[in-house]
Amino acid sequence: MSDKKRIYLQPSPVRIWHWVNAFGIVTLCISGAQIRFPEYIHVLGSYRNSIVVHNWAGIIVALSFSLWFFYYTLFAKTIMKIYVPNAEDLKRGLFRQAIFYFLQYFFGQPNPHHATPENKFNPMQKSAYLAIMFVLVPLVSLTGILLMNVSPLRELVLMAGGLKILVGSHFLLACSLGAFLFTHVYLATLGKTPLAYFKPMVTGWEEVEEDEHHAPHGHVEQRTS
Amino acid sequence: MKIARRQLRLLLLLGAVVGCWGIPEGSSGYSFGETGGKNGNCPGCHSAPGKISDKRFIDPVIYAQTTHARIGCPSCHDSIAGNHQAQKGSSAKADCTKCHGDILSEYAASSHGGKAPCSGCHDPHRARTTVNVSGAEINRMCSGCHDRYRMIAVHSEWLPQADLHVDMLPCVTCHTGSRDYVITMYIVNRKGGERFGKLELAPYDELKKHAGERDILSLVDSNGDGYISLAELRLFNSAHQSDPLRLKAMMTPERVTHSFQILDNRRNCTFCHASGPGAMQTSYLAVPQSDGTLQRIAVEKGAVIDALYATPDFYMTGATRNATLNKIGGMIIAGGLIMPVGHGFLRFLTRKNRKEKENGHE
Repeated sequence: MSDKKRIYLQPSPVRIWHWVNAFGIVTLCISGAQIRFPEYIHVLGSYRNSIVVHNWAGIIVALSFSLWFFYYTLFAKTIMKIYVPNAEDLKRGLFRQAIFYFLQYFFGQPNPHHATPENKFNPMQKSAYLAIMFVLVPLVSLTGILLMNVSPLRELVLMAGGLKILVGSHFLLACSLGAFLFTHVYLATLGKTPLAYFKPMVTGWEEVEEDEHHAPHGHVEQRTS
Repeated sequence: MKIARRQLRLLLLLGAVVGCWGIPEGSSGYSFGETGGKNGNCPGCHSAPGKISDKRFIDPVIYAQTTHARIGCPSCHDSIAGNHQAQKGSSAKADCTKCHGDILSEYAASSHGGKAPCSGCHDPHRARTTVNVSGAEINRMCSGCHDRYRMIAVHSEWLPQADLHVDMLPCVTCHTGSRDYVITMYIVNRKGGERFGKLELAPYDELKKHAGERDILSLVDSNGDGYISLAELRLFNSAHQSDPLRLKAMMTPERVTHSFQILDNRRNCTFCHASGPGAMQTSYLAVPQSDGTLQRIAVEKGAVIDALYATPDFYMTGATRNATLNKIGGMIIAGGLIMPVGHGFLRFLTRKNRKEKENGHE
């Protein structure tokens, strides 16, 4: 018999943002693939449909990104703490986490990182999300906005080096996001059960063992199982 | 010698037969490739500024490049007497059907027929062949009646980025049965030399300033071999990054018809946007000449498919995608699969280890 605690890990704005973003990015990947390879991919019917769906999904993801950014910077004010690796993370945390993923995990060792509302991500997650949320998503959104409005934003397109540079960058950035999706979804299955890490992103609550939970802050419930 | 004379006679006879073929009734002579004497005394007044009103002035340099100059003024204006200045109410209108009957029939049957006469779109004294007219000039003709902004608004009802399409395509590409599309590149510069002026086709005089003593074609064709290689295109685009000259490309038809209509298949975007890397291989550079014509020279195959610098401002989604970028993108996505596939495989093999630990923990 062990004590389990429930931590309110993912507040509703974060969950809404996450799922809007998730469906938006998947839609962008599918419609984008049809736009680039129309001879082979017809998931969304006509080519025009794929353009319209891609544009709207892009707008939604860009707005969702803005919501995320303003929530963490203006409301929660935890963006630096949650998303930017600290000195300890860089010195030892990254290495420790990599050892866990690529070695200790296979021997059934516990995850060295324990999520709390103030420290949700392990050092590897922080580094990955820093690159994704502060570089990839803003750049792919920016190039997408320019490509959606080539005539009115012609001067900016030319300043960026022309359409080919923009299209090439947009495509490769999108491929990087697509690659991240596979890894992201897979890593989310590495919890106690394959769905253990998915539940908090649906309900907001994560169940942790008593001994796993080091000095939690915020909303905590305790129950015995 | 005898043989040579006989050949010469034969050639003259053949020339006479070909030359007389299709002579319009009333024309005084019909011989392509020769203009001398066909226009009579008309240019004396009609090409002399000050002697004639602007409306009736005919630019001799531009007119000389037209096929009409080769058949001569009387061929079309046969009812005009030599002393017509003194005649009041004389009609100088030409009857285009004399030579262009087949085109007129095609045009009359089209949705445009009856809406505008030939002269509504074509000035017969400036008429040029298709390759000698830029896509922008064709659209300028159309915008005489079809207001550009209204057309953008109408097309925006179904066409994404309608303004871009209107800029990048001659109207006849979609609104006639024209075919055999190629990519034609033009050198453009800033209107009025302003820093953020509108990019327009650079006129001959402007390009001549940049070329100096050299032929303006040398601005792109740096080795002067009459052929534009990808290396020359990249050189032009990198050399002119900081000055106002740039290359603009349009998709233009090689064969133009007068069968104006709204074609349903052009509403299917994949008519243009799904050709894949195999298409869009043929392209040309068209540069203006001092006589108002365009000189068109071939560009190395694959210019518009080049990844970055051959045609940096031209991209047609789906149609001009670059194969190398596709491979790099594929490798990035494959990289993303390493974790699920590789780690997942080891995870499967070591599942017992975790089960034992979990059981021991409980």
